[in-house]
Amino acid sequence: MKESDLTGKVYDIQGFSVQDGPGIRTTVFLKGCPLRCPWCHSPESQSFAAQLSWMAMRCIGVEKCGKCLTACTKGAITSGEITKSIGIGEAIKLIHVNRLLCDDCGDCARACHPGGLSMCGADYQVDDLLKQLCRDIPFYEQSGGGVTVSGGEALSQPEFTLKLLQGLKAQGVHTALDTTGFSDYKNIDAVLPYVDLFLYDLKHMDSEQHKKAIGVPNERILENAQKIAAAGGKLQIRIPVIPSFNDSEKNIKSTGKFCKSLGKAVTLVQILPYHNMGVAKYLRICDDPKVLEAEPPSEEKIQNLKKILECFALKVTVH
Amino acid sequence: MYKFKPATERIIKMHQLIRDRVIQTDAERALITTESYKRNEHVLPMIKRPRAIYDVCANMTVRVEDFEIIVGNRAKNFCGSGVEPEWEGEGWIPSMIENGIWTIQADGLYHNPEGEELKLAISPEDVEALVSIRDYWKDRTITTTANAWQPEGYDELCKLEVCANASGAPLMMMTAGHLTPGFQKIINIGYGAIRKEALDFMDAHRNNLMGEDLNKYMFYNAASIVCDAAIIMIQRYSEACLEKAKACQDESRRDELLKMADGLLWISKNPARNFWEACQAAIMYQLFLALESKYPACSFGRFDQYTWPFLKADLEAERLTMDEAQEIVDAFFLKSNCFYGAAPEFVAQITGIGNTYQHTTVGGVDPETGEDATNPVTYMALETIGRLKLHDPTISLRVNKNTPDKLWECALETSKLVGGLPLFQNDEIIIPGLMEELGFSLVDARNYALIGCQEITGSGNDYSACNGIAPPYASIHYGVVLNMVINNGVNAFNGQECSVKKGYLYEMKSFEEVKEAFKAVARYITKAQVSINNYTEYLTTQYAPLAGLSISMEGCMESGKDATWGGCKYNSYGGTATGLATVADSLTTIKYMVFDKKLCTARELYDAVMANWEGFEDLRQQILHEVPHYGNADPYADEQMKWVCDSYYDICSECYSTRTRHFKAGLYSASDHVFQGYHTWATPDGRKTGEALADATSPAQGRDINGPTAVCTSACCYDQSKFMDGLALNIRIHPSALSRDDGVEKLRDMTKTYLNNGGMEIQYNVVSTETMRAAQADPQSYRDLVVRIAGYSAYFVELNADCQNDIIRRTENTL
Repeated sequence: MKESDLTGKVYDIQGFSVQDGPGIRTTVFLKGCPLRCPWCHSPESQSFAAQLSWMAMRCIGVEKCGKCLTACTKGAITSGEITKSIGIGEAIKLIHVNRLLCDDCGDCARACHPGGLSMCGADYQVDDLLKQLCRDIPFYEQSGGGVTVSGGEALSQPEFTLKLLQGLKAQGVHTALDTTGFSDYKNIDAVLPYVDLFLYDLKHMDSEQHKKAIGVPNERILENAQKIAAAGGKLQIRIPVIPSFNDSEKNIKSTGKFCKSLGKAVTLVQILPYHNMGVAKYLRICDDPKVLEAEPPSEEKIQNLKKILECFALKVTVH
Repeated sequence: MYKFKPATERIIKMHQLIRDRVIQTDAERALITTESYKRNEHVLPMIKRPRAIYDVCANMTVRVEDFEIIVGNRAKNFCGSGVEPEWEGEGWIPSMIENGIWTIQADGLYHNPEGEELKLAISPEDVEALVSIRDYWKDRTITTTANAWQPEGYDELCKLEVCANASGAPLMMMTAGHLTPGFQKIINIGYGAIRKEALDFMDAHRNNLMGEDLNKYMFYNAASIVCDAAIIMIQRYSEACLEKAKACQDESRRDELLKMADGLLWISKNPARNFWEACQAAIMYQLFLALESKYPACSFGRFDQYTWPFLKADLEAERLTMDEAQEIVDAFFLKSNCFYGAAPEFVAQITGIGNTYQHTTVGGVDPETGEDATNPVTYMALETIGRLKLHDPTISLRVNKNTPDKLWECALETSKLVGGLPLFQNDEIIIPGLMEELGFSLVDARNYALIGCQEITGSGNDYSACNGIAPPYASIHYGVVLNMVINNGVNAFNGQECSVKKGYLYEMKSFEEVKEAFKAVARYITKAQVSINNYTEYLTTQYAPLAGLSISMEGCMESGKDATWGGCKYNSYGGTATGLATVADSLTTIKYMVFDKKLCTARELYDAVMANWEGFEDLRQQILHEVPHYGNADPYADEQMKWVCDSYYDICSECYSTRTRHFKAGLYSASDHVFQGYHTWATPDGRKTGEALADATSPAQGRDINGPTAVCTSACCYDQSKFMDGLALNIRIHPSALSRDDGVEKLRDMTKTYLNNGGMEIQYNVVSTETMRAAQADPQSYRDLVVRIAGYSAYFVELNADCQNDIIRRTENTL
C-alpha cells in the first residue's frame, strides 16, 4: 500500500473548538474505541466501522421523498409513524429503521438528500485531511492554538494518527492528542515526538473498579502516563467526574497523588463533570442505548473535588 | 475579566423611563414652523428654512427633568416627538385617528394599537392642531415638489419593487443623514466665532456681490441665522436650569443646576471649558440638527477623541472624578436615545425599532501620529453600553495592531451583554481604503468615523451621504434582480417587467452567460436607482440646503458653500446591494447543479424556482445539503460571492453626480434582508418565496456549518478594502463558547485573525437559541435582551416575529 493511500476513519471535524487544548483549535475525531464507558458522550465514536445515523428532525417524510425505502435492499427501512416535523413544520410520515436488518451499507444515506440518514464515519486520506486542518493556521498562530486529534481512541488507528501528526508538525502546527491512554506503548512512543500535548483521561485509580465499569483494567493507562512523563511528554490530565463511580474523595485524592508523581509533565488537571447529553446521540445509531443516566454532580461537589486536587500543588480547572 | 459597575440611581431611573417610553407626538414644532413659513412664504428656501428653525429654537418648550444632568428635548414631552410639516404636512398620525386605527384611552390620549413594537400617543388637542395646518401644507411640502415630477423611467423602477423606491414612498426624506457633523468644531470654536465669520463676510460684501459672492452671501446669511438659532436655544436651556434651581430644595442639586445654567450660557457662544460642557455642547448640536432636518441620523463621530482632552484637564485640576465623568457619559448616551421620533410601524421596522443612528465611534489611532489613541473615555462609552444594555446608539470600536488587550476584553464582555455591540472596525483596512478609494489625506483617513449602520465617513469634513439621500436608502434588492435575470426580465413576485430582458435560465448556454445577464440587469437597476438619487441631490440643493449642518463641516465656512452644494472638504455618496450570499449561493447552485455536475437541467431548476419549490422538495433538499455554500471556506462557493461583490463594486464605479465622482459600494443590509425577503420570489439556492435573504456579507441563515473560523475565511474571499460605504459580518456565538475564563481571549484572537486577513468589520450576537425561544414565550422577562439584526441592534422582544426568527435561524456557533 502506498503511503498516500493510507486512510483513516473520521466521524467529525470541529472548527473553533475551544475546549480541547490551548487557543483556537480544530478537533478531528477518529472513529473506534477499545473502551466502553457507560457515560460516553460520543457513542458514535465507539465502533470502528461506519454506522448509519438517523436524525428524524431532518426527514421530510415518505410522501415527499421516500427514496430510502427503495434504496435499501435489506428491507431495513419501512414507513413509520406520522409526526409533526420540527424541520419543515408540517405533519409527515417518518421512516422506521430496523437495526437488526441494517448492515450499515450506506445505500439509503447516499439516496437521502435531506440528510436524515447519513453515514457516521468516512474514510479520509491523510493529505486531504491535512489540507482541511491547515486552513485555519492563521487562527492557530494568532491564538496559540492548533489541531487536536481525538476519538474514539486515535491510537487505535496508529499508522493514520502518526502520519497525521507528522504532517501537522511539518506545517508547524501545535498538536494535541486526546487519548484514553489505553494502547500499546509502542504506538505512543511512535507519536511522542509529534505531540505537543497529551489530553490524557484518568477515570479511576482502582483497577478493579475501572475494569468493572469500563471493561479494561487501568494498569496500562497509568503505566503509559508514567512513560510519557519520563520521556518528556506534556500531559493535561482530564478527570471525568461520574456520580457514584469515581467521585469519592478517596479516588480523587489518589488521582491527585498520581498526577503529582508525574512531576512537571502535568501542565494542568481538568475536571470534566458528567453531563447527560450522550443519550440523544445514542438514539441516532441504535434503538436501545446502554447509557448511564444520572444527575450531573453539583457545583459544590465539583468545587470540593477541585480543592482536593489543588492540595497536590496542581493547576486545576473545571470544564 | 472586565467587570461592569452599577450605574447611579438617577441614571437607572432615566434608563427605565426611556425603555418603557410612550412616545407622545405634539404639534408645537409643526405650528411654529407653519407660522414661520407663512410669514416667509415667498422667501427663498435658502433663507426661509433657517428663519423657521430660528423660530422653533426661540419658541419651543425647553425642559429640564429632575433626574437630568444633560438636557435637551426634541419636542414638548420627555422622549416626545415633533412633526416636520415642511416635509410631511400634518404628518401620518391624524389619518390614523381618522381611520380609527388609533383610539382614545383612559389617559385621555390617542394610542396606537396594542401589539405594535413602539408605544405611541398623541393628545386630542395636538391632533386638532395638526389637522388645522393640513390645508396650508397640501401643495407646499418639499415632498410635493419632489413627487410632482421625476425623470422618465422612475415608474418602471417603482413598479419592479427592486429597491426602496418601490412602495410609493415620498421621494425625499433624509438629507443630512449619514454623516458625522463637526462636533469638534462646535465644541472647540463655538457658535459665536462661526457667527462672526459669517457676519464679517456679509459686512465686507454689502452691496458688492460679484460672481460667486452672491451664492456665498446667501450661504453666510443662512449660517448667521442658524448660529443665532442655536445660541438662543441653548440660552433658553440655561434659563430653564436657572428657573429649576430657584425652585429646588435640595442644596446639592441646586448647585448642580446653577452650574449647568452657567455652562449652558457659556457654550451658547463660546468653546467648551470642561468635560461636561463638551458633552452638553455635542448634545445641543445634535438636537439642533434633529430640529433642522427630517430624520437626520447624524452620528457622533469620535466621541472619546474630542472629549478626552477636556476630561484629562478636569481630572488633573481635580474638578471631576472618574465616577462623575462616567455618569455624564451615561447621561449623554441616554439623552441621545430621547431623540427617537414616532414612526409608522413598517417604517420603524425597516429603519430599526428605537434606532436613532447616532452611531458613536471610539478607539482607533491618533490622526497626527498614527499611534493608538485609546483613552479612559473609550472605556467609559463601552461601560455605559454594557452596564445599561443600551442597543442605541450603535457603537463602533476601531481596532488596530496596538489596541490594548484590556480594551479588547472590555469590548468583548460588552458583546456578551449587548447583542452586536460594539462593532469592530479595522483601522488597518479602512484607513488605506479611504486614501485609495476616496482620496483622503492620511491624517483625515486616520480620523474616520462610523455612521448609520456601519458606513464609513470622515470626521466633520465629509458629506458622505452613505446610503444615498433618497428614501429610505440606496439599497438594490439583489434577490429580485436575480429573479428577473432567470425569468426574462419579469419579477415573478408581481409580474412587472424590466426593460432589460436576458431570456430564461433554460435558454442560457453557459454559466458565463448567466453571470453576464446578471451583471446587465444589476447595472441597469443600480444606475436607475442612482439616477433618482442624483435627482434627489438636485432637489436638496434647491429646496433643503443645510446651513445648520454646514457651519460645522470643514470646507463649508471656508468656501461659503452649503454642504449640499459640495462645500465640504470630501464628497461622496453610496449604496448597497442586499441578499448577497443568497445570490452567490444561487449562482453556485446553477453552476454546480446545471453546468458542472449536471444533476438537473436548467429547465428543472427554473421550474422548481418558479413553482416556489412546490413538488420539488427533493431537489431543494439536494441543493441545501449537497451544493457548496458561501461561509464554509469552500473556494467553489466563495468564488461566486467574490464575483457578486466585485461586480457590484464595478457597477457603483460607473455612477456619479454633479457633487461627486464617488458612488461608493457598500455591503450591508440594515434589517432590509428580512423585509425584502417578503417581496422576493424563491431563489435557486433553495430559499422559498417570502423567506429572509442573507444579511449583509453574512452567509445565508444556517448554511454555514463549518464554524466561525470558516465564515471568517470565506468573508475574506474578496478585497473588502474597496467597499468604502462599509460592510457588516454577523456571527452568532453560543454563550457557552465564552463561558470559560479564556473564552473571550479566543474570540478576540479569532477576531484579530479575521481582521489581519483582510476583514474590515465584524459583530457578534452572543445568545443561545434557547434564550431567544424563551424570550418569545415570555417577553416581559426578557425586556433587556439586545440582539443585532444587521445594521442595528434592538431589544429582541420589540422585533417582529420574522426578524426574531431570522436571528434564530442563523447558525449558532457552539463547541
